[in-house]
Amino acid sequence: MAGMSKFADIDIDPGIVKRAAAGDARAHEVIYRAFAAPVYSICLRFTKVPAHAEDLTQETFIEIMRSIARFRGEARLGSWIRRIAVTKALMFLRSAWTKRGQALADDWHDVTEGDALSHGISRHPDDAMDLDAALASLSDVSRAVVWLHDVEGFTHREIAGFMGKSESFSKSQLSRAYQRLRPLLEVPDESKQPEGAAISY
Amino acid sequence: MDGNRKDDEMICALTAAEHAAMKEGLYELPDTTPPRAVWHRIREQAEAEGLLKPRVLRRRSTWYASVGVAAAALVAAIMLPGLRQQAGEPLTVVPDSIATNQEIRLTALQALMTESREIESNLRALPDAPRVTRASTLATISDLEDRIAAIDYQLNDPTVQMSDADRELFWRERVRLMKSLLQLRYAQAQRAAF
Repeated sequence: MAGMSKFADIDIDPGIVKRAAAGDARAHEVIYRAFAAPVYSICLRFTKVPAHAEDLTQETFIEIMRSIARFRGEARLGSWIRRIAVTKALMFLRSAWTKRGQALADDWHDVTEGDALSHGISRHPDDAMDLDAALASLSDVSRAVVWLHDVEGFTHREIAGFMGKSESFSKSQLSRAYQRLRPLLEVPDESKQPEGAAISY
Repeated sequence: MDGNRKDDEMICALTAAEHAAMKEGLYELPDTTPPRAVWHRIREQAEAEGLLKPRVLRRRSTWYASVGVAAAALVAAIMLPGLRQQAGEPLTVVPDSIATNQEIRLTALQALMTESREIESNLRALPDAPRVTRASTLATISDLEDRIAAIDYQLNDPTVQMSDADRELFWRERVRLMKSLLQLRYAQAQRAAF
């Protein structure tokens, strides 16, 4: 269902979590098999580079092994793991931006027609549902904000906290990302709302 | 203009229908599984850092010791009651509770194995998966099958000793995953029928 994280759908027997907290390798492997794909996918969506996503997946699961004894089960295991993965991925992006001497607020580049076509995005509505490519065409920050807000269900306040920025920054990034994505989405005319029914966040 | 008012007036570029379609589309994007080598790298690092308990390996020479222990126990079982009776002391018996606990564990394990077999039989009874299926459903089914295979690997690894309690835990998780798989396949079959 849209708006709900895939992490929330994954359930693990509390006995397995307890065994993992005691350092049981088999229990950790069961947890890894359950969460490897969503963790790797979120890292890949944020970084776009498989090698970086593999490293971040490794860092995430090592962090899980270090901290699982402190996991009290107050939140769902999936939400806890997701938070670790998101923190690792955003820390990686921030260090990459720092290395480039680029501020977070400046991380916005226009997607030219050439860029869009190189990502496989067509300007024709018939081909416009290549959402994965459309998402990949956004800047790192915008892509992360869209994903965290619309798929993982984080609030702007939480996203701002992850990024060390204000809520307005998160809202602004989301709004700009939607402007970019809109021409690439195909929505039947009859389902469109009347003028002025645009939503605000 | 204060910050809150500015936020309130920030109009999204999408209509509600467009936004809902986009969210659903994003959610439906399939996950990607990392290469198999990633788990081995994680395990190596975790073992190097002492985060995982070393595996208790079953050694080939263990059977010599086992036979020796069993023989000694047999001799003791035959000789000891006679010796104690001679001394006029009452016989010590194995406490009932221990036997009962073992029985319960065995019964629970057998029940889980039986349940697992029943689910497998129900899965086999379902019609073949339809040729046209949503990518997200296929991904979830494949994910569940992977997780079940990983548990089977743990349960069948001959090099690793597993206590009855652990075995029961892994079987319980297997049954839980099999139930999820059955529900998904059943829903898939129903959708295909209409």
